[in-house]
Amino acid sequence: MSDETSVGAVDVTYRGIFQKNLAGVITKELVKAARREDKVGGTVQRYGDSPERNGIPAKQFAVIADDMDSLRVEMTKYEPENVVVVCVMDDTLTKGVESWAWYGVRPINVNLAPGGTLLVVSHRSPEELLHWIPRRTYDWTLAILPGEPSFGGLWVYNDDGTDYRTMGAVSRVTGGLISLDSLIAQAGSAKNPDLRAAQLREGYESVQMHPIAAGVGAQDTYVPVEMPDWTQMREGLVVPAVEVGKNNTLFMKYTTRTTRPLVKFDTCVKCQICYTVCPDECFIPTPEGHYDVNYEHCCGCGICAQSCPVSGCIEMVDESVFESNEPLHKVFESDPAAYEDLRAEKVAQAGGANPHYGIY
Amino acid sequence: MAIPELVIPDLEINRRLTVLPMQEYYTSGHRTCQGCESALVMRYMAKIAGPRTLVTGTTGCMYVANTSYNSTPWALPWAHTQLGSAGSSAIGTAAALKVLMRKGKIPDERINVIAFCSDGGGGDMGLATLSAALQDTRYNLLILLYDNESYANTDIQASGMTPWGAVTSFTPSGTEQRITQHRWKKNVPALLMAGHPTGRYFANASSGFGMDLMDKVRIALDVGGPTFVQTHDPCPKGWDFDPRMSHELAILAVECGITVLWDCLEGELRYQGLTKQQVEGKVRRKPVADYLRRQGRFAHFTDEDVDFFQSRIDEMWEDWILPGVLRVNQTPFGRLPVDGSSPRQAGHAGAAVASGNGNGSGGAQIEAVGGNRA
Repeated sequence: MSDETSVGAVDVTYRGIFQKNLAGVITKELVKAARREDKVGGTVQRYGDSPERNGIPAKQFAVIADDMDSLRVEMTKYEPENVVVVCVMDDTLTKGVESWAWYGVRPINVNLAPGGTLLVVSHRSPEELLHWIPRRTYDWTLAILPGEPSFGGLWVYNDDGTDYRTMGAVSRVTGGLISLDSLIAQAGSAKNPDLRAAQLREGYESVQMHPIAAGVGAQDTYVPVEMPDWTQMREGLVVPAVEVGKNNTLFMKYTTRTTRPLVKFDTCVKCQICYTVCPDECFIPTPEGHYDVNYEHCCGCGICAQSCPVSGCIEMVDESVFESNEPLHKVFESDPAAYEDLRAEKVAQAGGANPHYGIY
Repeated sequence: MAIPELVIPDLEINRRLTVLPMQEYYTSGHRTCQGCESALVMRYMAKIAGPRTLVTGTTGCMYVANTSYNSTPWALPWAHTQLGSAGSSAIGTAAALKVLMRKGKIPDERINVIAFCSDGGGGDMGLATLSAALQDTRYNLLILLYDNESYANTDIQASGMTPWGAVTSFTPSGTEQRITQHRWKKNVPALLMAGHPTGRYFANASSGFGMDLMDKVRIALDVGGPTFVQTHDPCPKGWDFDPRMSHELAILAVECGITVLWDCLEGELRYQGLTKQQVEGKVRRKPVADYLRRQGRFAHFTDEDVDFFQSRIDEMWEDWILPGVLRVNQTPFGRLPVDGSSPRQAGHAGAAVASGNGNGSGGAQIEAVGGNRA
């Protein structure tokens, strides 16, 4: 927190449902620890993210202030301002964030305050991450907390220490918005205080900080979406239907994806199963009977890879190694050998495809 | 890329669909979860119903996820209707079309009317309107109930169709009480079928068997009159499993005998696919543990709980008059209340205890009551 302002917010951007409990623990414990330092705080889940969907990017905030009035002002906002840290709980979120309630894909650091820190849980290098994170007009810091993204469920809390390590890292990168001592004191009321304290210290020590100058990073192509006002809406809340053969272009789903299906077209037996089972209608029939993937709407659920009867024909590959959402069948059409090279290269780059779960 | 033209096949009622229609009337770009099988049901339904269809839908996932924020994946005319009013909206839409055709305002042609609801909006709140819609034989309408076994949109609250023992926001598992969902799942399609001789077609389908589901929707629309189709769709969010297992879990539910594929066309009950083979004894049912142990909502189950679940499913198959559909012989579910409000204990506690094991002993009950009066 800088000296002139008495309010700071921690933004936790996470994968809906899978990391909901994780984000909840981080924001709540940060606020409780801040209260031990005679600060006040509150947590808020962005209204538009609820009801949350599996995998869809969502945000929770912890707002910490010196006095009650500043806190109240900040808590009434749709998104708190002066976000000093954005915690990114899954590194594929750095490719962009499209909340299910929001038009358009926003950059991961869109609301980061000047001088703030983007804290990413990842095994990737700063160069790899900066390939996706858009440049800012001010200096900021990229902090990387080494670790695997922690995925749980709505009823399952994945207790792998990612939450406490992230809190330790937040304490370090903010230079004492919340001190490590308060966090450890707060962890004293948890079930395993010693384990929690060790995890907090581990996060505090293992986080790597990389100062990023203004103008460094990917090109910022973000254009804020203009919402229609009430005079532009159609009467009686009429929503224009899509034309037959077209898709809903106002909502893409690709930022929900952590892995994408990659098809080995030359092994395809044209059985139609992927097309039949896709809940997002993402398989587009081609004239020769293959099914091309619409990567703009694919949310990477993996049902196609799981249902495909041919071993290795559809594989789920880490999203972060792909540049664009262009469909790939035209590459295969022009040169099958080149396509196979591209496919193999991407799979290798991602460190192998996600394992198939086997037929039950 | 051009999508191949393929008209909806014009089949006799009893012929089965063999070719998948390629047109989409429920397209990409919906705000559902990863691996949402209910969205798949919507897609199958729209695909087979074709372009001359009016759809209404009650509040629930398939309303909120598909029409929020001024955008929609529907290519069909769709209207939202309030929670619990699927039946009334279907009957109103069908009646309005009929009047417009009679008055010559629109050409007299076949227009499908489909109202969908979920297990909460249809199976719980909307049961009354479903019942009313299925009694009126003047109109052609289909009610599709997509059953994801909870109020999934609002973050998983228990409905009347949540399975016994499942964890929901309303029925968490605790240290004192392991099981807090004490209710056994309501059998809505059989309930409606048994009670509505006016309904022309009733069916229970599964999102795991798309062709069968499309067939059932097609038959329901072709046969006319009030019709009802229910589907069973795994919900990765609320059931807590990896989204990529969605489709297999739907199939597994049929293999374990938990979902029963049946339909009843003008009073004739038939089984389909895997269920038919199970009924005829050609295929054995898998143990329900295979299905239960894959879901986080049953993670607290002990082996005894699984055995209990299995015993109820076995009974459904072995003791019911129509296996998996309608019961006649079945042991009562759960214990009787033991507090003072129990009807068997009213007045004379000793008589109720003396009346035996409390297991279907109706005669003893009457005797006990008579004794009190005397």
